[in-house]
Amino acid sequence: MSAQQPVLQLQNLTRVHGAGATEVHALRGIDLAVYPGELVAVMGPSGSGKSTLLTIAGGLDTPTSGRVIVEDTDITAASVKELAALRRRSIGYVFQDYNLIPALTAAENVALPRELDGTSARKARVEALKALEEMGLGHLADRFPDEMSGGQQQRVAIARALVGDRRLVLADEPTGALDSETGESVLALLRSRCDAGAAGVLVTHEPRFAAWADRVVFLRDGAIVDQTVRSEADSLLSGQVAEA
Amino acid sequence: MSIRHGLLALLERGPRYGSQLRTEFESRTGSTWPLNVGQVYTTLSRLERDGMVAQGGEDAAGHALYAITDSGRTELRTWFGKPVDRTSPARDELAIKLAMAVGAPSVDIRDVIQSQRRHTVKAMQDYTRLKAQALVAVESGGARERDDVAWLLVLEQLIFQTEAEARWLDHCESRLIRLSATAANSGSGADAPAPATAPRAEEAAPAEAPKAADRQGTDASPPVAGAR
Amino acid sequence: MKTWFHSWRAAIRIARRDAWRSKGRSALVLAMIALPILGVSALDLTLRSSELSPAERADRTIGAADARFSDPTYGGVPIFQDPVGDMNTPAKDYGDTAWPSGPTDVSKAIPAGATVLTDTSGSAKLTTAHGLLSTDVRELKAADPVARGIMTLLEGRYPEKNDEVIATSHFLEASGLSIGSTLSARNFDRPYRIVGAYEIPDALKADQVNALPGAFHVPYAKAVAKAGLQPPGATTTYLVRKSGGFTWNMVKEINTKGVVVTSRAVLLDPPADSEVPLYQKDGWGNFESSAAGNAAELAALGTVVGLAMLEICLLAGPAFAVGARRSRRQLGLVGANGGARSHIRAIVLSGGLVIGVAAAVTGTVLALILTLALQPVLEETMGQRFGAFDVRPLELLGIALLAVLTGLLAAIVPAVTASRQTVLASLTGRRGIRRSSRVLPLIGLTAVLIGGAIALFGSMVSEQFIVVAGGSAIAELGVVAMTPALVGLFGRTGRWLPLSPRLALRDAVRNRGRTAPAVAAVLAAVAGTVAVSTYMASTEAQYEAEYEARLPYGAVSAFVMEEGGRDVPAVREALQRHFPVDVRADVERVSVGKPGCEPWSSEAGCGRYEVVIPPGNECPLYVSVPGGGDPSEKFTPEQRRKLLTDDWRCNETGSNGVIYVDGGLMVGDAKLLEVLGIKDAGAEKALAEGKIVSFSRTQIDKNGAIGIRQITDVAAADKASEEGRPAPGKVSSIPAYRVPGDPKTYGLQALMTPATAKAAGLSTVPLGAYASTDRMPESEARQKLDGEFNKLGSNVEFHLEEGFVNENSIILLALAIFAGLVTIGAAGIATGLAQADAEADLKTLAAVGAPPRVRRTLSGFQCGVVAAMGVVLGSAAGLLPAMGLRLTDERERIRYHEQSVAEGWSTDLTPPDLPIVIPWETLAGLLVAVPLGAALLAALVTRSRGALARREAT
Repeated sequence: MSAQQPVLQLQNLTRVHGAGATEVHALRGIDLAVYPGELVAVMGPSGSGKSTLLTIAGGLDTPTSGRVIVEDTDITAASVKELAALRRRSIGYVFQDYNLIPALTAAENVALPRELDGTSARKARVEALKALEEMGLGHLADRFPDEMSGGQQQRVAIARALVGDRRLVLADEPTGALDSETGESVLALLRSRCDAGAAGVLVTHEPRFAAWADRVVFLRDGAIVDQTVRSEADSLLSGQVAEA
Repeated sequence: MSIRHGLLALLERGPRYGSQLRTEFESRTGSTWPLNVGQVYTTLSRLERDGMVAQGGEDAAGHALYAITDSGRTELRTWFGKPVDRTSPARDELAIKLAMAVGAPSVDIRDVIQSQRRHTVKAMQDYTRLKAQALVAVESGGARERDDVAWLLVLEQLIFQTEAEARWLDHCESRLIRLSATAANSGSGADAPAPATAPRAEEAAPAEAPKAADRQGTDASPPVAGAR
Repeated sequence: MKTWFHSWRAAIRIARRDAWRSKGRSALVLAMIALPILGVSALDLTLRSSELSPAERADRTIGAADARFSDPTYGGVPIFQDPVGDMNTPAKDYGDTAWPSGPTDVSKAIPAGATVLTDTSGSAKLTTAHGLLSTDVRELKAADPVARGIMTLLEGRYPEKNDEVIATSHFLEASGLSIGSTLSARNFDRPYRIVGAYEIPDALKADQVNALPGAFHVPYAKAVAKAGLQPPGATTTYLVRKSGGFTWNMVKEINTKGVVVTSRAVLLDPPADSEVPLYQKDGWGNFESSAAGNAAELAALGTVVGLAMLEICLLAGPAFAVGARRSRRQLGLVGANGGARSHIRAIVLSGGLVIGVAAAVTGTVLALILTLALQPVLEETMGQRFGAFDVRPLELLGIALLAVLTGLLAAIVPAVTASRQTVLASLTGRRGIRRSSRVLPLIGLTAVLIGGAIALFGSMVSEQFIVVAGGSAIAELGVVAMTPALVGLFGRTGRWLPLSPRLALRDAVRNRGRTAPAVAAVLAAVAGTVAVSTYMASTEAQYEAEYEARLPYGAVSAFVMEEGGRDVPAVREALQRHFPVDVRADVERVSVGKPGCEPWSSEAGCGRYEVVIPPGNECPLYVSVPGGGDPSEKFTPEQRRKLLTDDWRCNETGSNGVIYVDGGLMVGDAKLLEVLGIKDAGAEKALAEGKIVSFSRTQIDKNGAIGIRQITDVAAADKASEEGRPAPGKVSSIPAYRVPGDPKTYGLQALMTPATAKAAGLSTVPLGAYASTDRMPESEARQKLDGEFNKLGSNVEFHLEEGFVNENSIILLALAIFAGLVTIGAAGIATGLAQADAEADLKTLAAVGAPPRVRRTLSGFQCGVVAAMGVVLGSAAGLLPAMGLRLTDERERIRYHEQSVAEGWSTDLTPPDLPIVIPWETLAGLLVAVPLGAALLAALVTRSRGALARREAT
């Protein structure tokens, strides 16, 4: 699996907010690679730099030093315009809430990145419907966001994050505004999309949701202090049963 | 959770023999509370002594069948209706370990906590994977649905318990760090160890994992054993 | 290209749905843009519909005929005319010599074999239900197919017999008559029956009566002449129908016979200017095609449209800014999903586009509906029937495009601001304070300096109005551009204010993005108002200073010149009856010739008199030179000035008044002196002694008498005066008494009693009366008197001295109200904007225990702050150009005055002094009342309790 090319690579990433007395090191030398089919959860206490990491990975913020490589493209060198194009084509974002544009239906929301990219409205809609259908959300296509539950909105947002050729989802506390069960359904969907080949980075402070990831990265004071490795089998339980 | 009540609950569905009870119990609880046949029969005889079950014939293969009595049903009702007693928590090795680590000169408490946390989260990941499978099974329906749901509930209980532990670790960490920072205030700054620990923890992680897993396995059983 | 189109489509979809979701705000902006569009479109439709095509115009002027032949009364000499037939002049240049005059025999010019219909019209005094009405009577066989199109029969039938007439509906309304009534004329006992009502499509308000040819004018003239009065003239034109019509060449041919032709063929296909001999003559160019005039008009129109659009943009801009701010998270999401800055701009701009298009459609459709529905009303108001309902799609489209453009322009600044925000800031909803652009204030400052310099140059050096106005306009725009920076200056004053106003001021200053456009809108409106008000108030003050009473305050005068003063007794009686008359002085005038003659009439049998100025008393500058010429040319400017200043013959000012008779000579008694407030015992005595009382030194000859010459041969007199000789005529010399001192006489220069006149062999006719009043007559009395005079059918020259009347106060008030409304509107929008932003602050305030009214007071102060800033800046910005304009005016007047003194045109030696008056009432209203009102209004309409916590994204 790791033989594949990573979808997202962060190399020696640092980010300093402010300067002088108010200088804050949000990130210190982060190295991370996310492969296709992998869901990586980033955990850490408040202020550990989780969200900054995600915004930099998606090109919404620029690192002070280091490189961000998305699908072979070094986005730290890209212009604002190129970054926008990259977000249209390669990176999907899911935020905590209000992810959808209230003026657009679910299908139109999903079709938005494609339309912004210049695809014809009809073609974009076909792609959007396909994406929604794949995630079992076809029945929501013509609903407006205020006619959907929070969980439905988040799932539509995931559909949008992965419409077209995009295969990198950056999710910032996507379950933060949801109850436990609904949040789980959102994560189950994210998990299944990653199993189907997408790469995902999930920022959360809830271990329960982080546990859905293949790999959990622990962040403290802007640095990765630890991470779980991907287990090869259901070692824990099978071991226990065998022992018994 | 008590084996006694668990067996009563199984027997309420109909007469069963000893090893059958053990298999069903494990499948219901997802092998997280392994039983040996001896335990089953000891418990059954105690229940019989208390008049809650009665021996009732044999099946075709010659196994002695046990059936639940009326007083057994009453006991079962009472048990379901009564909250689980939380007044005497089980002693936890982890709590003791952390308490000892505070102020121990040769130990970085952060490392202790982090390695425990990695282990805990890893366990949660495993549970979650199993849960995902169970979810698929439940949603696809089928003959074993009832058992799958039970299995799912057990898994989720484990997940939430583990999560509680993870959260407790988070809390401990910030609390202990603050305390040790105040303690070490006269000496070096509190910030100093932070960057240094990061790489070390990472290296250590793979090596520690199996050992921790073992401990997790043994840690999980005491509640079962101590239920009665 | 295609990509661009698709992404814009997505942007427009979002904008459209957003506009629909916030209906209130959209409707407000839509109305702001649509209303002017509605007005302009409706105006365009009305003008275009009332503008007739050449064929329609031909139908209305010459009916179904091919041409109308008319007599220019040049006695048949060859003439030049313009293609329409409105202008004409003899082909030869006569210069100062006598011009040809006299009737032309039109019938000679009419080609043989043509059908001819005569069209004669002249006025007559017709009896109505209320009295007399001077009406145009037209003899045209209206039923004839040749006349079809000239008039429209509304009711009844065309006249068939000589005693039948039809009348315009307006005449019937004005006269109180109806179909079936009989109609007669004064001095003419033949009755006519009204058998129908008609209208003239081009002149709905005309009073006209139509009779058969020969049925009215000839017998009427005879009857009038028999009564010893001047018969009114009637002119006849000829409607000619001839197969083939009349080409321009034929028209020019007929012109050589001294006849003007209005030809259908020429109207439909006018010749080039080069083919019109009239236009080749000096001073007879085709004025319609003056390119410079058009350009000036276009420039003025462009400026007005541009300023209106700027004002609308400034007002609508904040609304789009609120929209963009409210949907900031949405824009952030678009950014996170790959929307580049251009996409964000496109979405906000689309908001402007959507509203603009909606406004354009609404405005245009409403204009069409309104114009169609109100067509009869519009036609009545304009006094003219429309031609076809003329819809010019291109013009309407152009006007509609203005709406779209306005919408887009209004959204530009919010769009740029929104697109500049980083995606992260938009998403996290951080209320960043954007550093306002440093370039804009610099541009503004430059514009202010340049514009100010131009205006200063204009007011100090040049006299060109346009220079000052243009410079001021540039400077004004500069101030608008500087508004954000100026608003910043206000922030420093806030430290010592109590909580609510301090919060409001800080908020306004910190959020210049939304405050500045609103302040600029107020500024522009107030500056304009203050400029115009100041200019008008100054002009007003000047007029007041220059005002010369024509009678003592409260006095009245009423004269009748017509028909030998036949209606004078009725006028005197009416005056006495309706006005609180104190002293009434009846006056007569000297008449020469038949008693029915009007003064200066050139009718046969009429003459005139003149007060002889003895040769030695004539001012050398104006003395008649034998052979003609300008006498003042002999003098140098210095000499002229000296003559005007020092020579009594020249500096007699002759005060202004209501005298319509030669030499200011009135025939009356001492009561007139009393009415005019002249107290001189000697004068009364002199009148009683049969002397003429004179107020003019120049009129009295060496023997202390005044000579009055009766001229019976008017033509000879005119000739003599041309040649600089005294006119022939008998001179009666009457001993004079000169009133000492220089009392104010209101134009009266000489007065004698009727007895004195008679004794001197002068005949007199009644002229009218002067009267002094106890108190100023009420408006009701004036209306009644007007009614009485109207019923007389005579033209009554009436004057009531009311002192100086300020005519512009209504305009000033209207302007102040307009500026007030704009101010309140703009401040309201800005307040709404501030409220949307301040919700979080208000919640915090409520949480720390602020009473609910803080919300009200805060929004009140927010509104007041915006209004006050705009009004203060606007007043300052408006006063300066007004002063500049006044200075220019003064400079021009002074130059003109110096020239006229130097040339000897004027005897007034005081140099003009143009006051600059600041309209304090208007200014105070704008500076104090308007911000206060705006604040109170905002406080009143704000709910004390906040709405439930609003979701940030929606």
